[in-house]
Amino acid sequence: MVKIDEYLESGALESYVLGVATAAEIEELLALKSRHPQIEEALAILEADLERIAEHMAIAPPPNTWNRIEASMNELVKTPKMENPKMEYLIGDEPVGRSQPRSRKSEQFIEIEGENGHMRIRKAWRWVFAAVFVLGKIFLAFAIYYYLENKHTQEEIQQLKMEMRSMRK
Amino acid sequence: MPKSTSQVIIDHPSHSIRYLYDQHAGMLLGYIFEVVKDRKLAEDYLVKIFSALSLRDVVLDQEQVNTWCSLLKFAKAKLQLFQAVNPYETAPVHTGVTFASSANTYLDRLNELQRSVFCGVYHHGKTISALSTALNTTEDLTRKTLKEALLMMRSDG
Repeated sequence: MVKIDEYLESGALESYVLGVATAAEIEELLALKSRHPQIEEALAILEADLERIAEHMAIAPPPNTWNRIEASMNELVKTPKMENPKMEYLIGDEPVGRSQPRSRKSEQFIEIEGENGHMRIRKAWRWVFAAVFVLGKIFLAFAIYYYLENKHTQEEIQQLKMEMRSMRK
Repeated sequence: MPKSTSQVIIDHPSHSIRYLYDQHAGMLLGYIFEVVKDRKLAEDYLVKIFSALSLRDVVLDQEQVNTWCSLLKFAKAKLQLFQAVNPYETAPVHTGVTFASSANTYLDRLNELQRSVFCGVYHHGKTISALSTALNTTEDLTRKTLKEALLMMRSDG
């Protein structure tokens, strides 16, 4: 059984308040604190001492410091919300939790802007999209060409029919 | 029943950083300066630490009742991180405004061993175990020296 006076004199409270106590020491202190109110009182005094020491060492920050902090906070708050959604869904893959480490595999995805956040697809798909686009243009050109060709042929047939009718007469 | 400072901070996180800044920015800047010994670098770290608070769901944990001690704990962890990432920033050669010596009368009350232990723990976050090894003493003695240092600083107000 720990003698409380010896414990108060041991320096354990000072280690705790200054944040250098080990996990076992913290556990012991919290257990003792719940049973001995004098520990809580001693901790409050130590914390007040530390505050007084810090006040004594205080240096007034330059006037623009808060503006710098606000600007920095805005940057920090905007960036993770835009770029770090809770879950990322990869086309053809299972949902990936944000906490999982990024693998090289994720480097193969390109981002496409959507209405809400981002969506990721494999980089290989860009060649498929390019091929579909080029083929689409070729088919369109052929379609226009054959449409015009057909129209022209129809006009010629119509003209020939009219010539044949006039020759029979 | 009036709310404690910690409770106000937890209930109103959007305003709490400004509140913390108004209450403790000077103290924190003084503390950071004692660690890095460079005014410009200390100001940069102050901005980074307060900015980092905005990423937390709850600004400071409720475990520690004293707001300053809670903020100090957070700042210590961040400073250790900054120094680990950019160790050259705490090298003896600094580019910012520096002061030759600290005008800290509290530290002047301590003997060499007490000052080594207090500064090692308070400013540099060294563990009791690491300090005991470095100073070639037992952990019990180091803890008692830390206690004596705080008692000396408390004496005479």
